[in-house]
Amino acid sequence: MKKKNGYYPDNIIVTRNLTKKFGTLCAVNQMNLSVGNEIFGILGPNGSGKTTTVLMLTTLLEPTEGTAYICGYNIQEEPRKVRESISYVPQDMAVDVRLTGRENVEMFAELYGVKNPAERSEEVLQVLELSDRADEFAKVYSGGMRRRLELAQALVHNPRVLFLDEPTVGLDVAARKKIWEHIKKLRSAGMTIFVTTHYMDEADKHCDRVAIIDHGTIRAIDTPENLKRIISKDVISVSIKGSYMGIDLPGVRFALEEDDELIFYADSGDLALPLIKDALTAGGAIVTAMSLRKPSLDDVFLHLVGTEEDNRPFNLSTFRNVTGRRG
Amino acid sequence: MNPVLVYCRRDLIRWFRGKWGFISAMVMPAAWLIFVGLALPIRFTDHYIDFVTPGILAMTTLSASMTGGGLLIMDRMLGFFNKFLALPPPRESILFGKILVITIRGLIQTTVIFLIAFLLGARLYSPSQLLVTYLILFIFGGLLSSAATTLAIFVGEHDQYSAVNSMVTMPIFFTSTAMMPYDQMPEWLRAIAHINPLSYAIDGIRLVADGSIPFVQIGVLFALFIAVLTISVHVFRKTGL
Repeated sequence: MKKKNGYYPDNIIVTRNLTKKFGTLCAVNQMNLSVGNEIFGILGPNGSGKTTTVLMLTTLLEPTEGTAYICGYNIQEEPRKVRESISYVPQDMAVDVRLTGRENVEMFAELYGVKNPAERSEEVLQVLELSDRADEFAKVYSGGMRRRLELAQALVHNPRVLFLDEPTVGLDVAARKKIWEHIKKLRSAGMTIFVTTHYMDEADKHCDRVAIIDHGTIRAIDTPENLKRIISKDVISVSIKGSYMGIDLPGVRFALEEDDELIFYADSGDLALPLIKDALTAGGAIVTAMSLRKPSLDDVFLHLVGTEEDNRPFNLSTFRNVTGRRG
Repeated sequence: MNPVLVYCRRDLIRWFRGKWGFISAMVMPAAWLIFVGLALPIRFTDHYIDFVTPGILAMTTLSASMTGGGLLIMDRMLGFFNKFLALPPPRESILFGKILVITIRGLIQTTVIFLIAFLLGARLYSPSQLLVTYLILFIFGGLLSSAATTLAIFVGEHDQYSAVNSMVTMPIFFTSTAMMPYDQMPEWLRAIAHINPLSYAIDGIRLVADGSIPFVQIGVLFALFIAVLTISVHVFRKTGL
């Protein structure tokens, strides 16, 4: 009863009112998710609760309220079963630099209790294109290679679910592309991938579904396409001299003022461009530049979350609770 | 392979390959043995090196254990810890792996001390004497590395731990019977030396060297080891780092 509670083949990760509080700070607030065989991205600014969510789902942190199931196993009641079904690659990029690539992977194979660690390690090293340099010390690996080595460690026991915390942070464009190629292959092979990121463009391009989270609360969950449809078909940005007095046009909505630009959402951008210019000019401003583009996840994000920077003082003990200490 | 051994092997390899940590761990106690064992003007015995060798053995175990406590903190700082905690084996195996590897490092260092002591002309131990001595050093090493890891979990930060480490190590050493026997000590020191765990290890090894088996010392050290290990597991589970 318990084990099958809420578990269907396409509900690999299910959270029920998942909540984590650190003192007065509510890091994750009543989160309800259901993730199947897909690349699921959780998108949010620093301190929005992404990592805390992952730490709870990987059994590194006890929820304050609510719970979650991974492959049907409850994260609090059957943490070992959960850990056998998942792999977790944290943000820090921790590989043992004094061990070779192969030794790094074989160590994890042994810790996961894989049947033939040497063979299986060779397999994953090949999949991640590291086998020709597997016997060099990880010290000489580039950032991208280290990340792939961590993926190799994570994949060595063939997990059902892979948790990646900011997998491409600090990597160059080519290395990022490669990582995402690997992630997509894994999804095609039937793995569920739960990834946190603050790179909108990557989430847009590579995730099947995206949850936008802010201050621990989910603001929207959908495919990137549907999320962009929340806004409108087109986004128009206008640079003006003088002040913006407001315009009223059908099918055009004023979104926000960012730096020196005004952002409008329009149902039909081509037609709206001249109308907006005329309206602004009539209002006494001088239009210096206009551009029309398709909405990106950035726009959705700004629309839902705003540009407000996190100004709360950096609290070391909270931070340590989030990143290090368990329960 | 047992996860405790996997964790232990990882740290051993890192230690050997880290070179300077390994070299320093070998040179430091040797320097103590040479400068203290051969150079101090001692009157209560003609063969001070025989007397001081057990003291240096225990001191080496002490410093090896205290240094080793830092391993756990480094693993947390560098992000290894969260990776390990998310793995299926029981989490305590991380702790036991650390305690084991620190103990083994101590035993390797004490072996070097033994060799140097014999080269410097200390009286040779018979195989059975060596066996009991190693048993004492193993239990004592387990006790100290459990204590050091507990302290490390408790203190939490690396620079803080080094400060605590240097604050703790020296007084423990000088309040033991490492440098002088009880009857040569001032009254106040004698009382402290009698309850210092380091003295138990040192007295035990000296008894072995004199041809008896130190059941009391081994018993006390073993009881302390189990007690501290229990506390260590408790603190580890509670804080989890």
